[in-house]
Amino acid sequence: MNKKRLSIDEEAVLMDAQLATRRLFLKQCSMGLGALAMSPLINACTNQNISNAETFFDAANPLDPKTPHLPGKAKSVIYLHMAGAPSQLELFDYKPELKKLDGQLCPESLLKGKKFAFIRGVPKMLGTIGEFKQRGQSGAWVSHYLPHLAGVADEISFLKAVHTDQFNHAPAQLLMQTGSARLGRPSLGSWVTYGLGSENANLPGFVVLTSGGQNPDAGKSVWGSGFLPSVYQGVHCRSHGEPVLYLDNPSNVDGNMRKASIDAINHANKETYKEFNDPETLSRISQYEMAFRMQISAPDVMNITDEPAYIHEMYGTEPGKESFANNVLLARKLVEKGVRFVQLFDWGWDVHGNSTDTSLEIGLVNKCKQIDKAITALILDLKQRGLLEETLIVWGSEFGRTPMQENRNGLEMPFKGRDHHADAFTVWMCGGGTKQGTTYGETDEIGFYPVDGKVSVYDVQATILHLLGFNHETFTFPFQGRPFRLTDVEGTVIKPILS
Amino acid sequence: MNLKFKNSLRWALPILFAIGIILFLPEIFSIQDKETFYSVHVKPIINKKCISCHGGVKQSAGFSMMNRASFFLKNESGNPAINVENPSKSELLLRINHSDPSERMPSEGKPLSKEEKKIFKKWIEMGAPWGEHWAYLALKPVKVPETSGWMGLLGRKEEKENAIDAFIKQKLNENNLRLNPEADKETLLRRVSLDLIGMPAPKRLAEKYLNSNHPNAYKNLVDSLLTMPQFGEKWASVWLDIARYADSKGYEKDGSRQIWRYRDWVIQALNNDMPYNQFITEQLAGDLLPNPTEDQYIATAFHRNTPTNDEGGTDDEEFRTAAVIDRVNSTFEGLMSTTFACTQCHGHPYEDIKHKEYFQFMAFFNNSRDEDTVEEFPVLRHYEKDDSLALLKLKTWVNKVSTPQRANEIYTFLKFLQPLVYATHADKFVNSELYDTKYLVFRKNSSARIKNVLLNGETRFIAQQRGQSKKGKLTIHLDSLNGKMIGKMDIPSTEGKWTFTSFELTPAYGRHDLYFRYENKSLSNDMESGFTLNSFHLDQNFPGKKIDPLRITMDSIYWALLLKNPSSTPIMMDNDPQNTRKTQVFIRGNWKVKGEVVSSGIPKAFSKNYTLKNPNRLGLVKWMTNKENPLVSRTLVNRLWEQLFGTGIVETLEDFGSQGSLPSHPELLDYLAWEFMNKHKWSIKSSLQEIILSATYCQSSVVDPDKIKKDPTNRFLSRAPRIRLSAEQIRDQALSSAGLLSTKMYGPSVMPYQPDGIWASPYDGNKWKLSEGEDKYRRSIYTYFKRSSPYPSQLTFDGTGRNVCTARRIRTNTPLQALVTLNDPVFMEAATHFAQKILKTTDLSVNNRIELGYKILLNKKITQAKLQPLVKLYKDAYTYYKVHPELVKEIQISNPTTEDAAFTLVANALLNLDEVITKN
Repeated sequence: MNKKRLSIDEEAVLMDAQLATRRLFLKQCSMGLGALAMSPLINACTNQNISNAETFFDAANPLDPKTPHLPGKAKSVIYLHMAGAPSQLELFDYKPELKKLDGQLCPESLLKGKKFAFIRGVPKMLGTIGEFKQRGQSGAWVSHYLPHLAGVADEISFLKAVHTDQFNHAPAQLLMQTGSARLGRPSLGSWVTYGLGSENANLPGFVVLTSGGQNPDAGKSVWGSGFLPSVYQGVHCRSHGEPVLYLDNPSNVDGNMRKASIDAINHANKETYKEFNDPETLSRISQYEMAFRMQISAPDVMNITDEPAYIHEMYGTEPGKESFANNVLLARKLVEKGVRFVQLFDWGWDVHGNSTDTSLEIGLVNKCKQIDKAITALILDLKQRGLLEETLIVWGSEFGRTPMQENRNGLEMPFKGRDHHADAFTVWMCGGGTKQGTTYGETDEIGFYPVDGKVSVYDVQATILHLLGFNHETFTFPFQGRPFRLTDVEGTVIKPILS
Repeated sequence: MNLKFKNSLRWALPILFAIGIILFLPEIFSIQDKETFYSVHVKPIINKKCISCHGGVKQSAGFSMMNRASFFLKNESGNPAINVENPSKSELLLRINHSDPSERMPSEGKPLSKEEKKIFKKWIEMGAPWGEHWAYLALKPVKVPETSGWMGLLGRKEEKENAIDAFIKQKLNENNLRLNPEADKETLLRRVSLDLIGMPAPKRLAEKYLNSNHPNAYKNLVDSLLTMPQFGEKWASVWLDIARYADSKGYEKDGSRQIWRYRDWVIQALNNDMPYNQFITEQLAGDLLPNPTEDQYIATAFHRNTPTNDEGGTDDEEFRTAAVIDRVNSTFEGLMSTTFACTQCHGHPYEDIKHKEYFQFMAFFNNSRDEDTVEEFPVLRHYEKDDSLALLKLKTWVNKVSTPQRANEIYTFLKFLQPLVYATHADKFVNSELYDTKYLVFRKNSSARIKNVLLNGETRFIAQQRGQSKKGKLTIHLDSLNGKMIGKMDIPSTEGKWTFTSFELTPAYGRHDLYFRYENKSLSNDMESGFTLNSFHLDQNFPGKKIDPLRITMDSIYWALLLKNPSSTPIMMDNDPQNTRKTQVFIRGNWKVKGEVVSSGIPKAFSKNYTLKNPNRLGLVKWMTNKENPLVSRTLVNRLWEQLFGTGIVETLEDFGSQGSLPSHPELLDYLAWEFMNKHKWSIKSSLQEIILSATYCQSSVVDPDKIKKDPTNRFLSRAPRIRLSAEQIRDQALSSAGLLSTKMYGPSVMPYQPDGIWASPYDGNKWKLSEGEDKYRRSIYTYFKRSSPYPSQLTFDGTGRNVCTARRIRTNTPLQALVTLNDPVFMEAATHFAQKILKTTDLSVNNRIELGYKILLNKKITQAKLQPLVKLYKDAYTYYKVHPELVKEIQISNPTTEDAAFTLVANALLNLDEVITKN
């Protein structure tokens, strides 16, 4: 793949070739939806051999399935982002020394030249509340906060020394998801959709599911398409009402009438094509057919009520509610149906200790209960379906928490809590070509700085792209006079966690 | 000689000659043209294949291709890259032709193609002439090609043709293509209406044009459309993408921002056809003009559309810097089609722009008073009429009893709340803190410092503060906690409400660190807040003699106005000269690692012989709009072209640089840009009019297989383009055809229907509240734009995120778009009203009704072939709804009938036709 955008002429050659196949298709298929229902979509008719010469963007069929640089082990990604940042010191990063220092004033040497979001002056050290044990054969440390996940620790690759350079939620979420702390860049999911297209033309290629009652701090930009064509932005599927916005027919129209009207629209559009010979009209015809198919198939996929009871039991799902567990189950269904990137955001992990909900003693326990069973079920369920090898699960957040107790505005907090910490936190991956039962990276004895296996946000991104078959250094899109990439000028694939 | 033969020879010769020209034209023109050979042929190859290793960043083997001289210097190979005396000995040629892949260049990837190698060879044989990149060459008058005469044989000059057509036809001729015949009147009417006013023309205008046979009918139509107020609304939405206009701040809470007056300013300026040089002068530097008007201040909100971050714990300086950088990049990308964002970190890899030059340019924007504060200071406060009069009265009075300067100071403070010292600068906290990193809160026995404040003998400390407790005492000391006390004040309780309070100050002079000490014995513990300071203003005593009876009245007017909380607009305003902010180079682009101090300047590559008039934004914009600068006018005419034809003459609107695309019609671009500045005197309307009156614009969009083959993407404009409408146009058209569209202009943004649960940004109580009455049906440009959650249909139809300057929208095609126009309640409501309008208008047959609906949308009669499926839809729907009354009931009108339901479905289909969502 070269770095330059497809020139207009090259695009034209492509288009022309596609048109030839489309024309043939139009001759072969009658225009009615009835006939279409049995035949593949127009998109699927186009010649797969016409590779994308230079970029992955084909204006006529932007979501056609595409082949990455190399065969990737992962075919799809389920990214679980805990918005707000859980405490790695309570969940995965076991620090017995920190416990001993509990309640003591933080040494000045640690604070020198450091800036915190909320800690002011000299805070006190806060010993971990988690009760840790080594789990499984791999001996990975997982605390009592996540009893179910502890049971599948041998499936997981832990990155214990991830660092970022942002300690505020919105910019840090943007950095994690778009490779830049400022607004305006494409998200990881939209890069992947741009590079891979969609396996299932009847569903959006990049689905976003949110829980916890709020969108992430950085807003919809964390699944936006930035400077990539807007077709690659994440489609936010909703827990209430229609799963995809405007998927439902208006109340005065039912499926039959919708079918009849799309039929009429496309019939008339076919006449328009005869009149103008404009290839765009053909795209329009297929666009309406796909919309209709999406109306038929998306609600089925988005509906979890038909799942067997044991699955609901396994995931801890409650159909009809907005919950993280429901979203996890949905994610599995979507991946099964060929969706390449499912992004989950769960709100409510900002454990500052300024209220019950944000306390390590109560709030964090509750949040963990909401995810523990479901994530564990996802791993086991994908495994039993033989999908874990080709599905990459990523769990993480925008940053970690400090080993010090927060003293917001220089005051003592009502509950135990920790401030934002950019220098060290835990991210884990599972399946999709990662090594099982691995722990990579280590922090110092209080979990403040990495001492070994330090990796950056860009390294995590480069690794995800690598697992999907992309070389993060050559996977680019031309913008502002240069080829842009997700990892900007950074990023190294974290080889020790690859299988 | 036989006359007949002679005659035919007279015809044949030019034809043969012309064919010869066509066949050999590219060879003759391009190869011989020394001036442009490098930039047209050589530079693109270098940029694509060589520059990443031999450029401004990396110089492998000690060889850079950035300037001509380096080709003649010995590099690590021991030879210079070029040997003009003996071209075949040139190292460059040896390397690109090398048989050993380890020696061959490029070192990675495929060898150069035969053509590419030939170009390098030819170039060296020509003596390696250097040439400046086309976009940076100054504009000159361009000779319009002659299309009559012998060339006329290939394309007869039509009556309607103008200079633009001559350029277009020249390229068409070269490619053996011709313009299409003129589009039918109905199509042209819709096309030009969508292009000029973004929606269908009013009925009166439409009918007048359609019924007229007058040769000037089309021109009259164009002129009428140009004077309609909807013109400004349509073209403002183009501009607002560049201005990254939004109604919210951007990050996290993404709270509301009152900046809609800027949007209204843009609409008005466009409607008034404000000359473009003035248009951008006011936006970039309106505040620096002599005696700026209120409107000129509002114009400067252009660069206050940058996102800001109110998230607790964020560093204001970080986001202030981000905003300044954004202003630099937006100014270049949006107004000059140049991207030099990469020079933030290092020298430009492709153009001759140095790292330092980025920061010299940044210095123009780095002196503004905005610092990412919650209040968005500095702001222009909009007093209501009576208050404005009072302010004027006060100013006049001060002028009389004191000096004009004093009058101005008081006016500026009341009007802009400037100058203010922001408490966010505080440090050395002792039991005090920047609460939520925003406000300086004092508790029991606390202190803090604000560094480096310039004192000028002021006697009043006017604090924007809130007292949470009675009996607090604040003292201000110079340079240390126990330094000279210049203020001692009892802080009253304001019951937690923000207000301005004036305290007495002992005059002092010079730069000092101010130490604030707060004591309050009534506070029960160390944790309780006593007093919070947000900002302060230093001032002299209120003017006038104490015995002046008017003084008391004026003083109370002053306080009444200060304590008012009128609506306001963030604007640009610079620090006063004594407080100019220093600009430093960011080492490797890191804003925390600062290097050399620089002063404002323009990169050399763009300003060879130009001397900056003023070292501020006004000087900058003077450079931008001087006629030697070709970038601004080329960028604008290219943008106008792109709006009308779907693709710019330079496709990459954001980048004219050597990485961008080349112009398809370079002479035409220069012609338009030159005429824009000189003939049209920067008038957007005149320039648009010239393009729109061309035969190129007016031709039909029908395409035949031959044209598809020769001109597949219509780069030569052998037909009018068909373009999918923009998000705004699609909604406005639907509302307009339904008779719902409100013509109300201006004012705060509105909230049309949006499904529940779209907004969910954290910590933000703001809710989407459905607007009332006609505000539900305003043009899309007035729809509230929340950055973290833009209006869904706008985004689905390729609207931009408005976080950064976006020079063009890339059109995409997704099924989600069909779902919007089919199912979005906004569109179903439009269909319902559209159906009612048709059903009520006449008592006609089904066929006639569908014909009428189609005609309302497209001005013309529907063909039988298109009519049939729609009639069938009506009949099927009628039969179906007859047995499904429960669906009929759902039509949102009183007592809906089966007919209403069936026709609503047809209307919905009509609004979804390809022809309807496309400009034909």
